[in-house]
Amino acid sequence: MERRTFLTGTAAAALVSQMPITIARAQDKVIKFAMPQDFTKVYTFVTAEYSQGQRDYISLINARGGINGYTIEADVSDHGNDLPRAIEAYERAKTEGAVLIDPLSTPVARALVPRVLEDEINMVTAFSGRSDAADGTAFPYVMPLSPNYWTQAGLLIDYFRQKDGDLNGKKICFVHIDTPFGKEPLPILEKLAEQQGFELVTFPYTPPGNDQSAIWPQVRRARPDWVMFWGAGVGQTTALTEAVRNGMDMSRMSSSVWISESDMEVAGAQDVTGVLKVEPCASGRDPKPIQDILAEVVEPGNGAGPEEKVGTSYYNYGVMITAIIIEGVRKAIEKAPDGPVTGPWLNDGLHSIRDFDADGMIPPVTITPEDHQGGGMARIAHWDGEKFVADTDFFTANQDVVWEEIRKYSEEFKKTGE
Amino acid sequence: MDMLLLAELSINGVFVGLMYALVAAGIVLIYKTSGIANLAQGALAMMGGYAAWAFTAMVGLPIWLAIPIALAVMFLAGVALERFALRRMVGQPIIMVIMLTLGLEIMLRGVLPGLFGSAVKRLDVGIPNTPLFLGDLFLNRATLIGGSVSFVLILLAIAFFNSRLGIIMRAVSDDQSASWSVGIRVERAIAIAWGLSAMMATTAGVLWGATQGVDWSLSLLLIKALAIAILGGLDSLPGVLIAGIIVGLAESLATGILDPIVGGGTRDVVASVIIVLTLLLRPHGLFGREHIERV
Amino acid sequence: MFYRRAGIRHTRYQDERQLWPLPFDRRLAILIFLLALAAPFIVDRLYLVSYLLPWIIWSTAALGLNFLMGGAGQIHLGYGAVMAIGAYCSVHMVRAGVPFEIAMIAGGLLSAAVGMIFGAAALRVKGLYLAMATLAMQYIVDFVIIQFPAISGGTQATIQVPRVSFLGVPIVGDRPTYYVALFVCVVVTLFMLNVRRSSFGRALAAVREKDYAAAVIGVNTFRYKLLAFWVSSFIGGVVGSVLAVCYYRAISPDQFHLDLSISLVAMVIVGGLGSVLGSFFGAALILFAPILLNQFVGFLSSEFGLAITSDLRSHLPLMLYGAMIVGFLLWEPLGLAKIYANMRNYFLVWPFRHARQ
Repeated sequence: MERRTFLTGTAAAALVSQMPITIARAQDKVIKFAMPQDFTKVYTFVTAEYSQGQRDYISLINARGGINGYTIEADVSDHGNDLPRAIEAYERAKTEGAVLIDPLSTPVARALVPRVLEDEINMVTAFSGRSDAADGTAFPYVMPLSPNYWTQAGLLIDYFRQKDGDLNGKKICFVHIDTPFGKEPLPILEKLAEQQGFELVTFPYTPPGNDQSAIWPQVRRARPDWVMFWGAGVGQTTALTEAVRNGMDMSRMSSSVWISESDMEVAGAQDVTGVLKVEPCASGRDPKPIQDILAEVVEPGNGAGPEEKVGTSYYNYGVMITAIIIEGVRKAIEKAPDGPVTGPWLNDGLHSIRDFDADGMIPPVTITPEDHQGGGMARIAHWDGEKFVADTDFFTANQDVVWEEIRKYSEEFKKTGE
Repeated sequence: MDMLLLAELSINGVFVGLMYALVAAGIVLIYKTSGIANLAQGALAMMGGYAAWAFTAMVGLPIWLAIPIALAVMFLAGVALERFALRRMVGQPIIMVIMLTLGLEIMLRGVLPGLFGSAVKRLDVGIPNTPLFLGDLFLNRATLIGGSVSFVLILLAIAFFNSRLGIIMRAVSDDQSASWSVGIRVERAIAIAWGLSAMMATTAGVLWGATQGVDWSLSLLLIKALAIAILGGLDSLPGVLIAGIIVGLAESLATGILDPIVGGGTRDVVASVIIVLTLLLRPHGLFGREHIERV
Repeated sequence: MFYRRAGIRHTRYQDERQLWPLPFDRRLAILIFLLALAAPFIVDRLYLVSYLLPWIIWSTAALGLNFLMGGAGQIHLGYGAVMAIGAYCSVHMVRAGVPFEIAMIAGGLLSAAVGMIFGAAALRVKGLYLAMATLAMQYIVDFVIIQFPAISGGTQATIQVPRVSFLGVPIVGDRPTYYVALFVCVVVTLFMLNVRRSSFGRALAAVREKDYAAAVIGVNTFRYKLLAFWVSSFIGGVVGSVLAVCYYRAISPDQFHLDLSISLVAMVIVGGLGSVLGSFFGAALILFAPILLNQFVGFLSSEFGLAITSDLRSHLPLMLYGAMIVGFLLWEPLGLAKIYANMRNYFLVWPFRHARQ
């Protein structure tokens, strides 16, 4: 009896442990993306819309018959910004043969860097993750595909310079969330302040930034020429509200890519007219890819979410990033039509993207094995009370300072990380 | 540092502190009657914010009608929470009860954004955002009104404890068995405390929601409220009032004076240091009753 | 059935006092240990890396916290900060060229030192107030780590863990990392199992039940409370460094935030206060319930086309998870360990319904 118990026990344990993992090699022409993102914790302000854009664009591509017969399969799940869950999702994706992962979370992206470099799976870290990942030589499989925070700060400073002619003797206030993310632009700003002779005053606020009532009176008293506020989610809406309450000149307030129509609504759409933001891609429903999605995906009722969200800033970010990825897939198929579909295969394709502008929706993006940022172009837009209106064309600026910083950290990474 | 800025920060700090104290008062109310530290108080504030938003945006009621309805609904929700969750935990170790309220908070943080959407919601209570200047002195209209409302509500709560029902509640908090024996319905008293505390949380949720928008992060009000409740003494409502002002002032001034020196946001650390110092120097808080333990 | 005790006669006092007096329990423990040893060879890589490994590490951490909460009755809401101290200390030492074995111990010692300072708060306050004091510790430690770039690692606030070796074996790949974690886990588990049988454990139990009463019968509560904090923080520090080296491989401050502390407390309570087995159960439930619920809800919505919004779809697991914690506390406050014990008792006296123990 006892021995039998043991044997059955062992057998059962062995069986359970070998639960079948479905490896989708059956239909050959499938390219798998994993999109475990944070729908429930810190990144709630962006994920729903971003993911909707991603899924709609993938539906669009698949509805048109895929790319050269390949269809895209995106596995969207929630990692709640929790590392064990994210790592589980990553390992699962790897087992299932995914060639790309888009975690849309800085902590998760940081934790996955050693793994993706080892496993040769492409990780998209659009508007998140390490800024120094723009250096493809140190991070061959980490793909920001978007202007990083250093570039965004550099663009804003250049925009101020364009407006004022010269920043010498001006005062720029940098109000930021007191986390690594919020402090990231500081070295660039300090360097630029030294170069261009403006005075930089920084105001850190405690995360998540739902109480900034003691910060903004100080900002107002500092009488800045320009203000940059750097946060995300609730920190941004609170910053806007408090700025309005303090009677700041809203047309001299600016922020990174992390501000959207819904933030403006919360702060009072009319009150915040004039606020500037960095736009990595065109917003609204006019760009051709969005029109295509409306006609071919949303119209037949296959949209991934509420229709009114189509064309919002974060939705368009999702479309933008997916469009770049799909372009990478196209290039990869051009180079090696028969695959095999692996991480390095897609990596090759992504590295071959040249001047891709998604029918004018995004600035011309060129990804090379050295530059994963894609050129670092974006434009500055202002809020006109209803929508964001572009003030400039897509441009790039201060890239020398940015790249100096990128190299500094990526060199360090190369030295210590293996 | 010029005096005007200092004055601005101080006034601002006092009123913001009062707004935090409103959440803390809810914690104290529950602790006073039932001896339970409710760590779901922040989640209740979030729930209240969502409720007010739902009645304006989804049902389409005007805000002056939506807020009273939200208060009533939240009163019932508080009573229900006590009846179906907390009452079953009577007699369990304190850590179990703490964990239960934490579990409730996790659940509420899933339920509300799940049902109403996780995007930040706009809640307009009709307080104009235009700045208010007294000479050169800037005043924040929203915090002024919010702080005053909190102040009045806490005063009302103090007055309430001197009414007949309030005296019953005090009896309950003194000795539950003795209250039973003289015919007080202890369960009802505790349930009412929960309902009232949920209403206070709702008011706080609405006031804060008007500034930051309504989403899950309203539940983060908890930490600050705990610091205030501990400093004031967990069973003292007047203590909450004083402690709220102290914490608000300390934080506001720390942001103005310490931040530039340290080069980081010291706000939360000030709250933490206040907790630690209080516990080390005067564990029962400024106005709390000293707990006498029988062996 | 299975756990029968009929026919088992202990003839010596040692037999009664051994860890598992019943042969079945003993064999079960050995079997599980052997299975854990063999796991890398019989379990698919996915389950090894993303289930077994974190489970072992989190269980060890839960054990360390359980020692304090279940063993000595002191509440701790800042255990994540304790682990952070250990992790940062050992990673910095490893990067400076110190062997991992020493760095791990040093991380534990530093955690223990800092943890004891906060344990000093426990001498003045208890219960809810202690919970608040440790919560404050969490915030203060977080602040210090973020504010000092020398600790957190500059603008990127991420430190890569270099390749290290443990007792001469390089920790590369899945199997060696798993075995290192398993080794630490087994050591801590054995310590936890045996400490209850020592005078130290009994003194702690006395403090837990009532500290004044313990003082009356001659237990130095001052000393034992501090010792409890010391030991528990030491374990926390060591686990922190294992977590950093074996699992994360790159550390940043947000890995050790309040969320970690709260989920560890949840593990201990859902598992069962003071129960070694419960720590393992609790860790499994709290770690994997969100993942499995997520997959379950995803499966439901893809198979049966649940007509729900994506917001609801993504928050449903969170709701169920919260409801599960509440449910456990309401219906089985003694935790998963008690459920196991009930089952075991059922089989112990089977076929009778109950028997005098």
